[in-house]
Amino acid sequence: MKATLEVINRMQSDGVIGKYAIGGAVGATFYLEPSATLDIDVFVSFQTAPGSSLITIAPVCTYLTSHGYKTEGEYMVIEGWPVQFLPPGDVLTGEALEQAIETEVEEVRTWVMTAEHLTAIELKTGRPKDCARILQFIESGILDTNRLDSILSQHRLLAKWEQFGQRFFGDDK
Amino acid sequence: MSEWMRKVLENKRQMRKQIATLPFSEKIKILEKLRDRSLAIASNPLRRQSFHRG
Repeated sequence: MKATLEVINRMQSDGVIGKYAIGGAVGATFYLEPSATLDIDVFVSFQTAPGSSLITIAPVCTYLTSHGYKTEGEYMVIEGWPVQFLPPGDVLTGEALEQAIETEVEEVRTWVMTAEHLTAIELKTGRPKDCARILQFIESGILDTNRLDSILSQHRLLAKWEQFGQRFFGDDK
Repeated sequence: MSEWMRKVLENKRQMRKQIATLPFSEKIKILEKLRDRSLAIASNPLRRQSFHRG
């Protein structure tokens, strides 16, 4: 993955992408024990096409294919890892991207979303694997509850959080 | 739940906690191994046969 991140960082220094942040299972691995995943979710601010308000991934694809990397469905395979480049689809993801924290993987600089933003995004997405990860975050005790409350409130997710609590903890929570 | 099972679960929880505190780079190495194993299992012809059988 080190080599993959080096390529993404080069894209950044070459001006193809702006700030990026790792989310999904790889992002969660920063805080939790690793869990098997086959891809890397990279949230990134894309340029809009000239004269259009549509977000386009084209510069990323062009850059990577010109450097010998291939596409596989919705993924770009970079140094053996399928990478999904995702635009921040809503205000929550945009905020998560903005507030991502800097870290290193084998001395390669990178950014991951905060645990609280990952939790909020997973709550919003709500697939079984997202619920499982939220439970892992809760069990780990690393969530800053004030910060999480603020994010959930700001993005109108408090009712969903209550439902989550009822579903998984019943009266225990 | 038996005492033995409780012990197993507690040890498992402790191990998960311990792994979670490893540096990110170390955890990424574990994640890479997990991924390699998942891919190896997925590419096993026996698994593919059973998958196709539904």
